[in-house]
Amino acid sequence: MLSAIIWLPVLGAILIGVSPKFSRSIALAVCVTTLAVSITIAGTFNYQDSGLQFIEHLNWIEPLGLDYNLGIDGLSLPLVVLNTLLVLLAVQATDIKVERPRLFHALLLLVSAAITGAFLAQNLLLFFLFYELELIPLYLLIAIWGGEKRGYAATKFLIYQALSGVILLAGFLSWAWFSKTGDFNYESLAATHLPANLQLLFLCIIVLGFGIKMPLVPFHTWLPDAYVEAPTPVSMLLGGIVSKLGTYGLIRFGLGLFPDAWLIVAPWLALISVVTAIYGSLIAIAQTDIKKTIAYSSVAHLSYVLLATAAGNSLSILGAVYQMVAHGLILALLFNLVGIIEAKTGSRDINKLHGLLNPKRGLPFVGSTLILTMMASAGIPGMVGFIGEFLSFQGSYATFPIPTLICLASTGLTSIYFVIIINRTLFGKLAEDFTYLPKVTATERVPAIILTALIILLGIQPNILISQIQVTTDNIVATLPTTGTQIAGIETKTSD
Amino acid sequence: MHSIVLNTIWLIPCYPLIGAILALPWSVGWSGELGTRPAGYLNIFMAGIAFIHALSALVIGWDLPTQELSYSWLHSSTLNIDFPIEISTISLTATAVVTAINLVSQIYAVGYLEMDWGWARFFSLMNCFGAGICGLVLSNSLFFSYVFLELLTLATYLLVGFWYAQPLVITGARDAFWTKRVGDIILLMGVIAIYPITGTWNFTELATWAQTAQIDPSVALLLGLSLSAGPLGKCAQIPFQLWLDEAMEAPIPATVLRNAVVVGAGAFVLIKLAPVISLSPLLLSILVVLGVATSFCCSLIAIAQVDMKRVLSYALSAYIGLVFIAVGTQNVDSARFILFNESFGMALLYMSIGSIIFTNVTQDITQLGGLWSRRPFTACSMLVAIASFVAVPPLGGFWGFWQLIQSLWVEQPWLVGVILIVNTLTTLSLVRLFCRIFLGKTQPMSERSVEPFWLISLPVIFSAVFICHLPIIIRDLGMLPSLDKSNVMLAPLLVWSSISGVATGGLLYGVNAIAKPIKLPIPAVQNFFTNDFYVQRFYQLTIVWLVATGAKLVNWFDRYIVDGLVNLIGIGTLFSGQTLKYTTSGQSQLYILLAFSGIIIVGLMMGLLV
Repeated sequence: MLSAIIWLPVLGAILIGVSPKFSRSIALAVCVTTLAVSITIAGTFNYQDSGLQFIEHLNWIEPLGLDYNLGIDGLSLPLVVLNTLLVLLAVQATDIKVERPRLFHALLLLVSAAITGAFLAQNLLLFFLFYELELIPLYLLIAIWGGEKRGYAATKFLIYQALSGVILLAGFLSWAWFSKTGDFNYESLAATHLPANLQLLFLCIIVLGFGIKMPLVPFHTWLPDAYVEAPTPVSMLLGGIVSKLGTYGLIRFGLGLFPDAWLIVAPWLALISVVTAIYGSLIAIAQTDIKKTIAYSSVAHLSYVLLATAAGNSLSILGAVYQMVAHGLILALLFNLVGIIEAKTGSRDINKLHGLLNPKRGLPFVGSTLILTMMASAGIPGMVGFIGEFLSFQGSYATFPIPTLICLASTGLTSIYFVIIINRTLFGKLAEDFTYLPKVTATERVPAIILTALIILLGIQPNILISQIQVTTDNIVATLPTTGTQIAGIETKTSD
Repeated sequence: MHSIVLNTIWLIPCYPLIGAILALPWSVGWSGELGTRPAGYLNIFMAGIAFIHALSALVIGWDLPTQELSYSWLHSSTLNIDFPIEISTISLTATAVVTAINLVSQIYAVGYLEMDWGWARFFSLMNCFGAGICGLVLSNSLFFSYVFLELLTLATYLLVGFWYAQPLVITGARDAFWTKRVGDIILLMGVIAIYPITGTWNFTELATWAQTAQIDPSVALLLGLSLSAGPLGKCAQIPFQLWLDEAMEAPIPATVLRNAVVVGAGAFVLIKLAPVISLSPLLLSILVVLGVATSFCCSLIAIAQVDMKRVLSYALSAYIGLVFIAVGTQNVDSARFILFNESFGMALLYMSIGSIIFTNVTQDITQLGGLWSRRPFTACSMLVAIASFVAVPPLGGFWGFWQLIQSLWVEQPWLVGVILIVNTLTTLSLVRLFCRIFLGKTQPMSERSVEPFWLISLPVIFSAVFICHLPIIIRDLGMLPSLDKSNVMLAPLLVWSSISGVATGGLLYGVNAIAKPIKLPIPAVQNFFTNDFYVQRFYQLTIVWLVATGAKLVNWFDRYIVDGLVNLIGIGTLFSGQTLKYTTSGQSQLYILLAFSGIIIVGLMMGLLV
């Protein structure tokens, strides 16, 4: 089953390669099938089981310790489903008249396969392989279909990401060397116990690697360039799911493998997340390009995941995973809508766009959905962003009260920059240059409708997702050594 | 049957919400040429059902012991959030008031916004408002109070920005959103911080906890401050008072609903939080000081306004300030009573001036005058509204004030003085408003003015008649404050304060011989009042400047220092590569030389190390 989610898109890419036409239809069909498979997995997934499920194991290159070892648990399941969904919507959001459609669609499918692989891999080397593989199609997608500065952005993206991969590989290799297990399987490595100072060293290496991917200040400068220059479907994937590889890695390989060292590093991580949140939000206020504002807001909002992960109690990890999903849905929709605005008006500059909410000549549907999404991102209740942020903050408050409150204040900054965008671009009088904007077609609306529905559904009924994640996150937290500070007041209080 | 009405009380917020959702196809323009009218009627229908349900629940549930319905909402291994609904006389009354005013203001909107193109959007937002407040008054949980307050913030933003093509409107909407959001976020901090201490968000359990709580005074103060910040922002109290004034750019029917009930919603939450707040005596004093400052300053500012909507908005801030005084002195019953009365008086005041604005196309009181003979019904309604808003027996406002000063007389007599002065000033500002509109000479803008058509007039007159009957209803329900024989002199004092307000206002603004506008001897003082104490300027020079400059500085740092360093490394690599490529000359002598010197250097290093 799990292999199907990885290899179906690859097959699809090959099929697109051989067939001269219908690349879009093939891609859509493949994505729908993949999504169906992943939903079937989610349906048959046993929520009460904290361990890995649907395990697949093949010995591959034994001398290297590289096994084809897949498995899924409550941590990776929502992300895998999110990935298959977002790729489908990205294909749907692709301009029908895109240049070189075959290559474009094939590359999108390959990105999907690689990301799924990384989420499913239970062997560190296999994870690394998928983690690096996903870069090649992404690099091409940015470099070929990107905006004006695409060459610069793509190269910067590649260098940063490859660096992240190399650092991780160095960490994995040296760790396997010291632990003397001989293979890189997650479970055998998790069972080994290293001295605290070595754990600390490896954890720092791994945090650095995933920190570039997330990204954390000061390793973030690849992100605004890549997000802004990438074509809309690729931005949706980059913001929606690729960035989650970093946070997923932190929980799985940082918190999960080095529980003792995690407690030492956690306060520093909380500090970094506070800096990142404030830094990213402040820069977002100063931007005039909508896409750039969204890019920086992504930096700020992912730092809440880091804070919650650092806090490391049951509720905060649950919140971190919820926030990842929330952030993925919201960011994908934001990029999608801005992409439509750019396609219709030819601009993303808040000094040029005005009055897009105009019901007759403007883009009322896109405008109202954009307001809703931005409010979701600002953490207004009733939408998914609030649940993610609330659970994260309520959890992390028990461990890091002051950083939590500062991060909470930075959500106020979110409403500042998004209200500036809404006031400038959506409200006001429609500019004379845009007297007759092309209509938004039903095809273009599909991704927005699906994502909006999910954002509201998961905002009103959080239990749908929580029930999937809960047992796994509890299990992860159970590996942490409990010190005095770690038993949060919250966990003792709820029992009575 | 009876229990069904009460057990399905959770449906009351759902009706308006369903109306709002059903209106969506019209508000995004999917209805095509069908017109947007059906959306409005649909919403009024849903608001009507909500009102009927709320009213029958009130009749059935009156004086029954408090019940609580609880629904599980979020369930995780360490945190369970329930949605508790309180069924008590207080919550049912509040729901009935809210649904009634929602219904009336929507019917009023049919006439007022007859020609508007945003009809569907307007009605669906109004019902979002209605749903939010109903949810707020019914929920018995601090967490859900926060949730609904936040939804009201969003709805305020969208409703104030309803006519979004005008620049003033959108800055007003923006400032309203930001100000309230600051309050809401600080409230959220309190919501998150209180849970590890108490283990519950349920108001009833919080009250029980507060009775026996042993808590550090500074913690209690911080906690209470953060919990009060949300209500302070929502109720436009100092230091969050500016947004209400700017929010006056919204259409009148929206203002009716907002100023009558939404602004009071914050105070409603504060009243529910009273047991927690009273843990810190210092906080109580802070609330009293803020309430005194707001009611005093805002009632002064109200006298200096020329925009009639703004006169009322400042009068409202001042009035809610009295509620804060009442909560700060732990007179919760009086606070509730004042709030209850405020909603009717404010709704009628706004509906009356709305009917003036509708036909006279101006809201500047310097351009109006002499409408008494042309608009008798509106004038009478407005008189009723003013009389019920300030302390004029036997109308509602009087009883609330009286109850409050009776208990204050024993505890803190100086506050009685404050309330009397505020009552005088508010009366003065409202009488001034009345005189400038209805008395005096006719102006070009007020020459042609007729009573508007029935869709506007009828809700106004109906509300006026209802307010006249309100004291009877209150008496029959036994809600009138009990007469305290020892302080019976306080009632004439209160009436006297209203009379002095009426007399001053009538003398200054009703007599034609006195030139208008009235000039104060020192122009600087006059400007100080007309510019709302320069508070806006102050905020622009401090907080706004700080955030804007901070954003620019960090952006500059990011672009030129952080990214600059990255680019420098990149350019350095490229440059060194470019330079080094000229060393590949192809001469084997050079290569041998380089290799040889390399070996020597390595050898020397080995020698040094060994």
